[in-house]
Amino acid sequence: MDALLSGQLLVAALVTGALYALTALGLNLVYGTMRLLNVAHGDLVMIGAYVAFWAFTLLALSPLLGLVAAAALAALFGLALYHGLFRRLLAGGKAAQRLEANSLLLFFGVSVIVQNLMALQFTATPRGYQYLDTVYRWGNAAITGNRVAAFAVAVILCGGVLAFLRFHVTGLAIKALIQRRDAAAIVGVNVERVQQLALCLGFASAAVAGALVSMTEQISPFMGFPFTIAAFVVIILGGLGNITGGIAAGLLLGVLETYGVALTSSAYRSILVYGVFVLILLLRPQGLLGGRRIVR
Amino acid sequence: MIRKFSIALAAAALFAAPAAAQNIKIGFSLAKTGLFAQAVPSQLNAYELWREQVNARGGLDVAGKKRMVEFVQYDDQSNPGNAVKIYEKLITDDKVELLLAPWGTPHHFAVAPVLEKYKFPMVGNTAASVQLREIKPGNIWFVTSAIPDKMAAELVAMAKANGYKTAGIVANVLPLAKEIKASLVPALQKAGIAVKVSEEYPPDIKDMTAILTKVKAAAPEALFVLSYPGDSVLYAKQAKEIGIAAPFQFVAVGPTMDFFGKVVGPSANGLVTMGHWSPAKADWKRAKPFYDAYVKKFNEKPDYLDTVVSYMSLEILEQAVAKAGTDKQKLRQAIASMTFDTINGPVKFQGVQNAITPTAFLQIQGDELQLVWPKAIATSPFKAKTGW
Repeated sequence: MDALLSGQLLVAALVTGALYALTALGLNLVYGTMRLLNVAHGDLVMIGAYVAFWAFTLLALSPLLGLVAAAALAALFGLALYHGLFRRLLAGGKAAQRLEANSLLLFFGVSVIVQNLMALQFTATPRGYQYLDTVYRWGNAAITGNRVAAFAVAVILCGGVLAFLRFHVTGLAIKALIQRRDAAAIVGVNVERVQQLALCLGFASAAVAGALVSMTEQISPFMGFPFTIAAFVVIILGGLGNITGGIAAGLLLGVLETYGVALTSSAYRSILVYGVFVLILLLRPQGLLGGRRIVR
Repeated sequence: MIRKFSIALAAAALFAAPAAAQNIKIGFSLAKTGLFAQAVPSQLNAYELWREQVNARGGLDVAGKKRMVEFVQYDDQSNPGNAVKIYEKLITDDKVELLLAPWGTPHHFAVAPVLEKYKFPMVGNTAASVQLREIKPGNIWFVTSAIPDKMAAELVAMAKANGYKTAGIVANVLPLAKEIKASLVPALQKAGIAVKVSEEYPPDIKDMTAILTKVKAAAPEALFVLSYPGDSVLYAKQAKEIGIAAPFQFVAVGPTMDFFGKVVGPSANGLVTMGHWSPAKADWKRAKPFYDAYVKKFNEKPDYLDTVVSYMSLEILEQAVAKAGTDKQKLRQAIASMTFDTINGPVKFQGVQNAITPTAFLQIQGDELQLVWPKAIATSPFKAKTGW
């Protein structure tokens, strides 16, 4: 019981939750605006992690700066994919209707290619480095510097994106596109530009999450899949395409995992997470904060 | 999926000029992609280093005749079922003359019946399970001495010799960890060491705070973390954060790999891990030259576990082939009866198992991994872990 009330678990829950929220944010933006199911999302996390790793190892660049490079590179990758793969498909009539299902296959292909290119280029050997690994203690809680940094960046970014969506005109356009795609076009939203922007933003935020993760764990070309799964659980919990809901669900998942395991056993982690996931979907099929109109 | 490179290699071998016909084709599949892909470079590097060294010496000595080594390699995508098909293909279609082992216990078990069917001898390497003793001897042998039940007995002996009276167990639910745990718990009881805390966790664990908070409260003197490479790093990082203070901390798989030191850094100092090799062991004459050659080629340290057992399996094959050639019957007899000189000292098989190399443990001491147990082969005495 003491352990439950200790700050240690709260710290763990918040850090895990914030990283889940940030990872899921990008997936949600891409799904929300374009209805693309990006199963290569975890691989963008991996790319971000590698950029931060090489920037740190070769250029002695702090991962907190390396994450800018990671974000830029992932955004460029998003732009290339948009123009190379999705633009024509999104514009077409029948093809666009099937795109949600087809995007699953397309992104699966992208995922396999990206993973294997990275493995060919850098081998599958796990890699890592140490950065900000001093342990800070407050009362009965302790936290490593790099986890404080990861938490802070994740919170600032999630907050920043929320504010952008709420107050900036382009952000509002993204929201409009998420809520009513056809109506948004009618009222003058430049759908193509907004889609591009959302895709780049989504890819970039995944890469930032990767750069943050690289500070705390080892990386490899095949590290992405668990992040894809976690991100999907989070955005479905929060309501597909609902950005605020996704962030709340990320934090909830962090709390659920940490405290659930503390109360029971780690062996029950998956049962707990997916049990609650199924329960919420049974009670609220549209997700925690999802509006029915968004779910198709 | 068969890698293009391998197809090209096989095709090149088929249509090669007569001069290249003297090459000896050696086949294998590895989990180059999929679940186990991270573990494979340790093994593949050993294979590549060996091929380079053998070819630099003018080729593999096949019963007195030197032939250049050529690999026929495939990716089994971490799927033992694929490995079965690939080894059949290697034997019947690619017509390789020798086989090297795939990665991991499940793959060794999967290809064992294929070897038996074609009576094709292969020296296994990266497999460790009590069940390997149940494989019919004759065409497969295992060089490792890190068999789970033996490890459990030696771990308890080591804890007892150092006077520890309480223990904790934190175990992954994957097979190797389960097998060690199954033998560890009764061995600890028998030795009068009380188990204060015992926790299990799934392979996809991302946070150990809850488990380690319980461990910290129980404060065992000896802590056995039965982990795999990814969760070993997670343990080391979070144990440092939470302040696990056990003087004896065993972390099963991971600390022997080069990346572990880079990710965890000096705070890993004092961790004990499985492994029965060290380049510092002076009377294993081949150990240091192997270490130096590896570091020179790959610019990183070898994995003291997988790279070492993989390289040992190649040394054994090389010495057996030098004596017996590639005739399967003669080769089988040679592997089963000879005593081999390896980087890990002498090796001789009894049934499918290595009968000479002792089950041993390494400890991270500064920048080096030192053999600390059993004392007969120790390169340095065990030192209690003092903080992170």
